[in-house]
Amino acid sequence: MGGAKKKGLWFRYLIAVILLLIMIYPYIYMVLNSFADWDQVDKKLFPTEYSLKSYEWLLGGGEAAIPRPWLNAFFNSFIVSGASTLLMMVSAVMVAYALAKMPFKGRDTINNFILFQMFFPAIILLIPTFLLIQRIGMYDSYWGLILPKAMSLWAVFMYTNFFKAIPETFIEAAKLDGASELQIMYKIVLPMSKSITTVIFLFLFMERWTELLWDMLVAKSDNMLTLNVLLSQMFGPYGGYPGPLYAASVLLTLPIIIIFLLFAKKFQEGMQFTLK
Amino acid sequence: MSTKHGRMGWLFASPYLIYALVFFLIPLVWSLFLSFTDWNLISPTFTFVGLENYMEAFRSPGVQSAFFVTFKFLAVFVPLVVASSIIVALIVQGLPKFKGLFLIGFFLPYLASGVVSSFIVKGILSYNSPVNEFLRNSLGLDINWLGSPFAALFVVAMIIAWKFTGYYALILTSGFESIGTEIYEAAMIDGVTPWQRFWKITFPLLYPALFTVLILSIGVTFGIFTEVYQLTGGGPNFATNTWQMEIFTRAFSNLQAGYASAIAIIASVVTFISVFIIRKLLEMWGKRNGWS
Repeated sequence: MGGAKKKGLWFRYLIAVILLLIMIYPYIYMVLNSFADWDQVDKKLFPTEYSLKSYEWLLGGGEAAIPRPWLNAFFNSFIVSGASTLLMMVSAVMVAYALAKMPFKGRDTINNFILFQMFFPAIILLIPTFLLIQRIGMYDSYWGLILPKAMSLWAVFMYTNFFKAIPETFIEAAKLDGASELQIMYKIVLPMSKSITTVIFLFLFMERWTELLWDMLVAKSDNMLTLNVLLSQMFGPYGGYPGPLYAASVLLTLPIIIIFLLFAKKFQEGMQFTLK
Repeated sequence: MSTKHGRMGWLFASPYLIYALVFFLIPLVWSLFLSFTDWNLISPTFTFVGLENYMEAFRSPGVQSAFFVTFKFLAVFVPLVVASSIIVALIVQGLPKFKGLFLIGFFLPYLASGVVSSFIVKGILSYNSPVNEFLRNSLGLDINWLGSPFAALFVVAMIIAWKFTGYYALILTSGFESIGTEIYEAAMIDGVTPWQRFWKITFPLLYPALFTVLILSIGVTFGIFTEVYQLTGGGPNFATNTWQMEIFTRAFSNLQAGYASAIAIIASVVTFISVFIIRKLLEMWGKRNGWS
């Protein structure tokens, strides 16, 4: 290690840190403004006066004509995203296991059809899916928010590729011991797929948590709104009160960041695998 | 044995079969059917209008703008996000320690909801914000960010590029890792300039990962909705009117369900063909230069 090389390295780290700060600055801005005194919101890069007023206002209703159900929306987001993600994971594992490890007649047809559907622009389905949900009485209900998003073809695709790489010998051995397909899937295949499961879970949860278009169409009544939809609706009416909206943004962003950071290490391991 | 397997196989695949029927095939047929009617989403009656919706759609400024806006987004957003993710990947790549930590940090914007990032950017760009104060007082620039066509498109492209940069940098970094250090050392001995090194060694070896990033970002471009809905509503003067925005407005604001279905079908066909052609061109370009 020569002196020049060391210097170059320091410089590299400096650039990396500056770049990272620029990239996460919008988050910093959001958090600072949610705690900022109201007459400083959106006026300074770094506010100087702080208070909890925005949070009190948001969760207590403040002087708003109609207090909005922020906390309720927060729980709705959790229930909907959690249930949706769980269903997507379970269905993906089952279907992928069948496609990767169970030779049966018609498997290739299903496989090709999944690929066909994956490349199909989803926008075409929006209106009739909405009508379908309406006709079967799921409009403005948890089911309407969850069921159309209960399956992810991307997850099926990822799992299928991963399961294909698991050697048959493991499965053959378990079969000789008299294990059923379900047991093999649950006790052998799934424990081997921990890191990729983390990656798939995080991506699916993130995507579901930040979905706006579908939730906006289906959730109508106050007690059904998800956090994203409520925040979106309040854009205009709360325009004069940016502080509380920053607080709501923190409420919407913090959980997902915490979840991501909890799994970050596993996520990176899994990503290494998925990108190869 | 095979029949037993067969039944189990179908059973395990059944979630997909049910899902594909209920949420893909039925809506698909329904969509086609609706596109030939004048149904308004509410009334119990409708009439068949043949190809009228399609004729109408091709003439409407909304559909025409959606077609061109998508390509404008391609021209602005894709280079933006590819360039920024290459820069991030290049910088993080050379770090002996904390590389993983930096990558995690750069990935964080991906977690932002479009509603949240739109709101933050609206605040950062509001009239009295520090950014605009600085531009006005120091440079004499008074930019109406969301009021002028190109600026609005650029702001939306920026927000989405911000979101995806870290994610794509992660993909590119794994591409970098497949490049051995020996090749660089050999180049050093041969006295290659950094510029040559990037274009002659790094870029070609990175191309497979870059191809993935290009395909992903093109896919993102054809699905832009949230940021546009939140910030511009497709305006000013249709300058940011994407396919999703146009369909949403037609179907759920104007209640023209039949007409919007026709637009959705046009949008799908245009998207499918465009992505297919771009993909083929990229593959040809990569092959011709011997990168892939």
